[in-house]
Amino acid sequence: MTKLKYDVVVVGARVGGSTSALFASKSDVDVLMLEKRQEIGTPVQCAEGVTYNTFETLEIKPNEKYIRSRIKGANIHAPDGRCINYEGGVAEGLVLDRKVFDKELASEAAKSGSDIMVKTAVKDLIIKDHKVCGVIAKHLGETIEVKADVVIAADGIESNMARMAGLKTIQSPKQICSCAQYEMVGVDVDPNYLEFYFGENVAPKGYVWIFPKGDGVANVGVGIRSPDKTPLYYLDKFVSKLDAKPVELNIGGVPLSGPIEKTYTDGLLVVGDAAGHVDPITGGGIHPTITCARIAGEVAAESVKNEDSSSNYLKNYEKLWKKEVGKGLSQSAKFRKMADKLSDKDMNLLAEFIENQDIESISKIAALKFVGKNPNLMKLLTEIL
Amino acid sequence: MEVQSEYCGYCGSCVTVCPEGIIELAENGLKVEIGCTDCGNCVYVCPMGALIVEKDDD
Repeated sequence: MTKLKYDVVVVGARVGGSTSALFASKSDVDVLMLEKRQEIGTPVQCAEGVTYNTFETLEIKPNEKYIRSRIKGANIHAPDGRCINYEGGVAEGLVLDRKVFDKELASEAAKSGSDIMVKTAVKDLIIKDHKVCGVIAKHLGETIEVKADVVIAADGIESNMARMAGLKTIQSPKQICSCAQYEMVGVDVDPNYLEFYFGENVAPKGYVWIFPKGDGVANVGVGIRSPDKTPLYYLDKFVSKLDAKPVELNIGGVPLSGPIEKTYTDGLLVVGDAAGHVDPITGGGIHPTITCARIAGEVAAESVKNEDSSSNYLKNYEKLWKKEVGKGLSQSAKFRKMADKLSDKDMNLLAEFIENQDIESISKIAALKFVGKNPNLMKLLTEIL
Repeated sequence: MEVQSEYCGYCGSCVTVCPEGIIELAENGLKVEIGCTDCGNCVYVCPMGALIVEKDDD
């Protein structure tokens, strides 16, 4: 058995893992990142849209080699077909080629000094005196023991690291948005706008998205929370109206419950999908993940330097990420509970109200008047507040 | 629970909802250990409809 020793071992080399590895190695500690797949960035489990602040957090300038489209805004389609245009703000950003981007981010971590092993699956944690102190991995049939002061679990929705360490990660199926997406050729959409479609018949408790990637290529996907039919069923139904052809099928689940109860324990930090670092309204996880993963890398490095990777020290990680994104994620979770109760009729009424107004300058009085006239919306709002 | 491997896309959604923690996304596919209670959580979230549990008619 090969035996290795690092300061920090990162499990998973997607955006969460690579960000943690990058910022831990920037802080001058020895980092090893393990990826179970043979190629970083595949398969894609994402609509590939990001906001510009993602790159500010990463301190990286967006590179043309992975930018597929520059997004100026979004078109939101209500169940009755009414379309609301939203310019700029949170809808502004980039659609990336995640296969290229994820590999680039891993390369940045490598350039900063992180070691990387691909096709290396973690099978177990090394736990001594209730403290995580490394991992047991398999690489091409060989067992590898990697001792480390801190393990960062960035192993995605299929995470089992955190659970092995005794953290509660199990999600209720009702909190998982089940998604299917085709990358399609021949999609007739504006290359600078995201399209969203809502409605019980289109995507129950979810939405359809079209994220353009330029040259008539787009990610067309559906996310739902319903046990009756699969997202693939709704996706096939939706794309049957488009004269477009699929070149890739992506599937996956997105945790919408918000963060797990506790994201650290002795010798271990959890980041990304594994930690529930996903916006419960949009299902977007790249920015919260990167924010938390950067903090995880930095706190892990500090703990190594301070020779203290106990739970008591590592709790700083949770304190810091909550300060950055905690409030936003909790608010989003509240709004999602409200959104879950909106009927198609409610959504149509909302769209009708917003349709002829500048979203940024809707007055509170006008909004209150509108809600006051619609008892169901009023009831929902009262529940939330 | 039964896996119809020809439908499975190895996304791992089932792993996170399994209360028994017996599903693993292994290198060569989905690995299910003994101990399944047929609770149906994994069936609920599977994007491909690849998982089947025996329905209790009682």
